[in-house]
Amino acid sequence: MLSSTKRDAATKAVITILLAAIGCIMIYPFLWMISVSLERTANVALPFPPRFIPELFSWFNYGLVFENNALFLAYGNSTFLACVHVAMSIASALLGGYAFSRGSFKGKRILYIAVLATMMIPFETRLIPMFTMFNDLGLINTKYPLILPSIIDALGLVLAKQYFDQLPEGLRESAKMDGAGEFKTYFFIFVPLTGPITATLAILAFQESWNSFIWPLVVINDQHLKTVPLFLSSFSAENGDRLAGVTMALTAMSIMPILLVFIFFQKYIIRSVALSGLKGE
Amino acid sequence: MWYVFLLPTLLGILFFTVYPLLESLRLSFTRGVEERFVGTDNYTDVLTSDTFWYAVYNTLYITIFQLIFAIPLGFVLACLINSLRRSSHFFKVLFYIPNTTSMVAAATVFVAILHPDGPLNYALELLGMEKVVWLSQPVSAKWGAIILSVWHWLGFVIIICLANLQAIPIEYYEASSIDGATRLQQWWFITIPNMLGSLALLCILGWIGGLQRFADVFMLGGLQGSPARSLHTVVGFIFERGFGGNEYGIASAAAYILFLVILVFTYFNIKLLRMKI
Repeated sequence: MLSSTKRDAATKAVITILLAAIGCIMIYPFLWMISVSLERTANVALPFPPRFIPELFSWFNYGLVFENNALFLAYGNSTFLACVHVAMSIASALLGGYAFSRGSFKGKRILYIAVLATMMIPFETRLIPMFTMFNDLGLINTKYPLILPSIIDALGLVLAKQYFDQLPEGLRESAKMDGAGEFKTYFFIFVPLTGPITATLAILAFQESWNSFIWPLVVINDQHLKTVPLFLSSFSAENGDRLAGVTMALTAMSIMPILLVFIFFQKYIIRSVALSGLKGE
Repeated sequence: MWYVFLLPTLLGILFFTVYPLLESLRLSFTRGVEERFVGTDNYTDVLTSDTFWYAVYNTLYITIFQLIFAIPLGFVLACLINSLRRSSHFFKVLFYIPNTTSMVAAATVFVAILHPDGPLNYALELLGMEKVVWLSQPVSAKWGAIILSVWHWLGFVIIICLANLQAIPIEYYEASSIDGATRLQQWWFITIPNMLGSLALLCILGWIGGLQRFADVFMLGGLQGSPARSLHTVVGFIFERGFGGNEYGIASAAAYILFLVILVFTYFNIKLLRMKI
């Protein structure tokens, strides 16, 4: 009979192999995407039978992707929008969270419930009036409809409030005694302490903005304003399953930056996602 | 004074939540460009429309199977990952990668994966099964969407499960192993009961997200959810009627029906979170 430590090691080896095998399946679509994109013959149709190592290795498809600047333009747009979204939603979430955590004012409970209630309203219900509103203002095909709504971040506000709740109250009292006003106390005492929660909010806001699809699809038609998902969607809609190699090269290039960001910050990103999921989406 | 802190949030809620919600309600009782009042006609039209019910059926079908596969699979994988010490972080990252990519990019890759000459069919043939022309038959197209959504969502399930698994007090396991419990008994009597909250949370979050399904089916099946509207979902219905046909009234009525359904599930979600906190 095996000793229990040996059996443990054997079980762990089996589990590792099993997880590695399933992990390969999970990651396979990406590897195959890269393989197709590097294949010269896959420019028009998919290589058949599917193979892993390109028969005719070439950068041809990537050359086509980078030929005009459309993808870079989409990157610029997505990056700009994500940065503005992150900045605006963090600013409003921290301000609001602080008020709900430390403030005492009329209607606090009601207003907090109102904030929580906004989380229950699916975006689709607001989609059409939001569109007509921006349309009436003549702002369709501009960046504004993609920027302005990011001012509400109800989940961010709740997370920020809970973060402020656990900071010691003594901080505020000593700042008060030194004669600091409410804004001074907030900006100079509390904001510098919000590093961890700000990082979490930034990650969640960035992902939301970078991956958003239906709203940009509705308000943006202009080729010059397209975000990365819009650009990818319109390209594959135009070409169907022709130009497989170019489509895959394009998809690979659209995923690459977000993948690199993820690999660098995976610890923080995974923690943020777990936090947001457990606190309710 | 404190209201200044709340100003951005309150303005945002006013302009981008309260106003659209009321305006959507108003539109749902009107028709046409002149916004003629038609009472509950839009609601009756939506609720008697076969297209709408087919969209509801598709939405439920894809979402139910997504949850049935992704949650137990993700839970078991999370338990396996959790039982490893050294490489657990590596696997966590590996399985989460699909979830970081945008659904549009994931779906673009899956159009190729599900292609008649694609790798999925090739694997089926190697296993001695018949080729499936995934995106040309109503049932297989839905299963294509299910495979995509399970693949994309699995990482999220694993992360939530792992967060909860690591929160189960280690003393429970220590005490039970002194009493001579086997690994399997521990899993059944300690792990699973402690995970029920998370699993319920995942069911509700997945369900709410699934009801709002759009990007993936739009990428696989286009505006009408081809083939034969088998990938047409409720949001697809709202989108098509609203922006394809400029029927804001019908689209708003459908959006309100969706809102009421989601409200019920969100209510359960909040109850559940209260229970946990």
